[in-house]
Amino acid sequence: MNTAAVASNVPSRRWQWVRSYGQELVVLSGIIVLMIVVGLYNPRFLSDNNLISIFSGNAYIAVAAIGMSIVIMSGHIDVSVGSLIGVLATIAGTLAVGDYPVWVAWLVPVAIGVIVNTAVGALIAFAGIPSIVVTLGMLSILKGGLISITKGNWITNMPGEFLIAQQRWLGIPAPVWFMVFLTVIVAVWMKSWPLGRSFYAVGGNPEAARAAGFSPQRTCVLAFMIHGFFAGIAALLFATQLQVIQSTVPPNLELTVITASVIGGVSILGGTGTVIGSTLAAILFACIGSSLVFLNVSAYWLRAVLGLLILTTVLADMIRRHRNRRSL
Amino acid sequence: MLKKFLLTAAALSMVAGSGWAQWTGGDDLPTNPLACDGSPGSVAAKPYDGGSPSNAPNRKGKSITVVDVPKLIGIGYFNATSKGITDAAKELGNVSASTDGPTEANIDDQITFIDNYITSGVDGILFAANDPVAIAPVLKKALSKGINVVGYDANSQPDARQWFVNQAEFNGIAKALVDSMVAEVGANAGIAIVTSTFTTPNQARWIAEMSAYASKCHPNLKFLETVEAQEDNILSFNQATTLINKYGDDLDGIFGMTSVATPASAEAVTQAGECGKIAIVGLATPNAMKPYVATNCVKSVVLWNPVDLGYAAMHVLRAVADGNLKPGAKSVKAGKLGELQIINGSEILLGAPYVFDKGNINGFDF
Amino acid sequence: MSARGLLFRHESVLALLLVLTLAVLAQQSDKFFTMANMLNQGRLMAEVGIIALAMTFVIVTAGIDLSVGSILGLVAIVMGVLWQKAGLPLPVAIGLGVVLGCIAGFANGFIITKFGVPPLITTLGTLALYRGLAEGISQARSVRGYPDWFFTLGQGELWGIPTQLWIFLLLAIITAVILGLTPFGRATYAIGSNSIAAEFSGIPVRNSYLIIYTLSGLFSAIAAVIFVSRVSTTRSDMGTGLELDVITAVVLGGSSIFGGKGTIIGTLLGLTLMQALKNGLSLAGVKGDGTIVMIGVVLIGALILSNLFQKKGDG
Repeated sequence: MNTAAVASNVPSRRWQWVRSYGQELVVLSGIIVLMIVVGLYNPRFLSDNNLISIFSGNAYIAVAAIGMSIVIMSGHIDVSVGSLIGVLATIAGTLAVGDYPVWVAWLVPVAIGVIVNTAVGALIAFAGIPSIVVTLGMLSILKGGLISITKGNWITNMPGEFLIAQQRWLGIPAPVWFMVFLTVIVAVWMKSWPLGRSFYAVGGNPEAARAAGFSPQRTCVLAFMIHGFFAGIAALLFATQLQVIQSTVPPNLELTVITASVIGGVSILGGTGTVIGSTLAAILFACIGSSLVFLNVSAYWLRAVLGLLILTTVLADMIRRHRNRRSL
Repeated sequence: MLKKFLLTAAALSMVAGSGWAQWTGGDDLPTNPLACDGSPGSVAAKPYDGGSPSNAPNRKGKSITVVDVPKLIGIGYFNATSKGITDAAKELGNVSASTDGPTEANIDDQITFIDNYITSGVDGILFAANDPVAIAPVLKKALSKGINVVGYDANSQPDARQWFVNQAEFNGIAKALVDSMVAEVGANAGIAIVTSTFTTPNQARWIAEMSAYASKCHPNLKFLETVEAQEDNILSFNQATTLINKYGDDLDGIFGMTSVATPASAEAVTQAGECGKIAIVGLATPNAMKPYVATNCVKSVVLWNPVDLGYAAMHVLRAVADGNLKPGAKSVKAGKLGELQIINGSEILLGAPYVFDKGNINGFDF
Repeated sequence: MSARGLLFRHESVLALLLVLTLAVLAQQSDKFFTMANMLNQGRLMAEVGIIALAMTFVIVTAGIDLSVGSILGLVAIVMGVLWQKAGLPLPVAIGLGVVLGCIAGFANGFIITKFGVPPLITTLGTLALYRGLAEGISQARSVRGYPDWFFTLGQGELWGIPTQLWIFLLLAIITAVILGLTPFGRATYAIGSNSIAAEFSGIPVRNSYLIIYTLSGLFSAIAAVIFVSRVSTTRSDMGTGLELDVITAVVLGGSSIFGGKGTIIGTLLGLTLMQALKNGLSLAGVKGDGTIVMIGVVLIGALILSNLFQKKGDG
């Protein structure tokens, strides 16, 4: 083969970088375009309060999507995350009201999230049951269990120090700090540390990963363990946003989290995507939600527009992938 | 491609958001606004239009099992009605009552619950319907098996149940809400609504009646927008915050149409620092609103007493089962609530809406 | 297949579990195992059942369809709106609604085959889109006042058996024959096991996907008509959450989410087990939340059991 011809076909480093972060850039440009368009239509959209509201409103979804992205990247899925967050939020609130120190009310739910999901991961890895089945079962168990125990009573009267999501550090709401900080840490970890990279390996090609020394079973349990940790943090943000905790499971939360991961570029076939994408996608959802109100889209058509946007984003991603493949 | 689509969507939607004569979220059934000055509306006497059980066994004085199937379980409002029902059952002494229902406000699940209890042979069913027509077939089946059926909070078609305990008339609730709002923000204010979904019958009725009453008695009230937030309080909070950000000073008041939407809207106003500048008026349970009433962010909470509602419903069912309440009656005795008036043929009126405010809210625990 | 192999199949384990469950539940309440109750449960599970038949095909090809509940809602709304607002005769409106269901299913298949978007994501998007269309078209109003003859479908009976149960049984037999005994059925399994190998052995993989997803839309539409007839009204939020019940039934029935495995009989067994639990536990005095927990436990437990038995069966 003519090496000169091959060499001239190799894309430049910068172009490679753009290509590998393609989906994240699509989502980011979506956010920017919306801000420009809606900002022109109604400048109040770009007011401080509204921007803060957009970035912090879905922060808990972004944090949950970090864990979900890792799970999906390693080739699995979790449809019970919504119920888990509901349960952990209720535990946090109950501890807060029950005269325990605030840090107990913060740490115990996270610990429980890790324990529960480790068990789920172990069941998937060692009993050979597909993740969608186990988590479908867990969804029911957690949802029913929550109502049984709380009897539907809401939790009110929580001490002020507990309400971490309502605190502001340097003028920026705490949820935004959590979201950005955790996203960056995990993104760097997954690109640079062998353990972080193992998720990509196992998700993309389990056999090759096994040959390289990564155990798919251990990776699965680890992925779910980490997912439980982030579900716990998301539950804290969810529980402390308002002064009352609804002790029911927020409807459709799992679908929203999965959609955020997927739109952010995490491939359901495993092996690609970053948590930066899922966080940007969660922000994009909040942006779209706010935009549709500011643009006076008829309230009755809101959901249809949202669905159309999801499909368009996914199609755009697929077309982009095809184009990448063809040009190689 | 995404960008092109977004631009088109933005252009199209600017066309879509045209002005509505009626407030968004109302249904299209005929409205009947009350008089502006508070003179009571005329209630025409109607013949009894409820259904009747076939071959009901004689339950007079006997012990009965009753199941209460609300729209959904797990929200403060229906916890309160359930408490009222249990209180009444304890008072009566010969009723064993339990509450069971779906975890989401879903017609199919509610029908399945009622169907199962019919099979298990309960003596009486209390219900709050997710949809008045969808629930009718299964309730008629209950009647045909001789089970006594009484509704509360959300009605079904009249012939599918024997009696319906109405907290207050739709136009009465609408008047109370709108008058409370005008008292706080004046007659020229801009208001928005946070509701659960547009398909919830009660909410749609109230919004339609509020719209009719406002155009009759407070025509300068400017309706801005209605947003949906299901029964999710974080979503309600986010939607209310978006409204506050969007309208800025043009927004003077928010109506909360459910016991989830009102506290969340109050929280949004509090966190946005707009307490005192944006009024919150709505339907809510006292416990959820106590923090906001304490800070004077919310002046008054309109509701009826849901515990009383459940209490009355239970007493009505007992009276029906005992044969003491017959079609054509003008009133019925409901324990400590005294005599309740019967209107519209087969509706039992609980009374006037109750207003919770700083003075009395701490006396309630639900 | 040897007798041992037959004994340790997932369907056999499930059948045993079903019989055990029925026996225990019948003991807890004497109202459970009566003819009237059984027929009534058959009536109630017809809608989920019909959609589950089509979902079996989808899952056997290693796909999934999360939009079935939304298609049900959309078809119900369009049917109602065409009849009430456009004034079309009801049978015509129903027919057009069913056609729309097929188109919605076809759209799913098209996006999956033409653009290569994985089924999970495609149907996640159409779940939102179709539900949104239902809400927008209906402007959140419900349609009521259908003529009485229409209700015989959902509320009436034919020779003592609920009408929709006849339809369900008919469709069950047809799909069982197609999946188990026809070349198309064999092609479905082949695609699920290894779609690339299937392509190379001459199976029209793309067209098969299109047919299967259209089938899913068609069956959702049929379920929509039955549902509307049963509750005598149309709402845009009908069928919300239905997809999880359907998928649970199919997966419980032994279809592997990775494709290549599963039978209609298994789906029917899974369906019956779930319905029996929902009904029997309620009659035994367990409340709604307890029932939800039990179903989750049974789902996981049944699959653990089946895996254990199959390991034994393989020797």
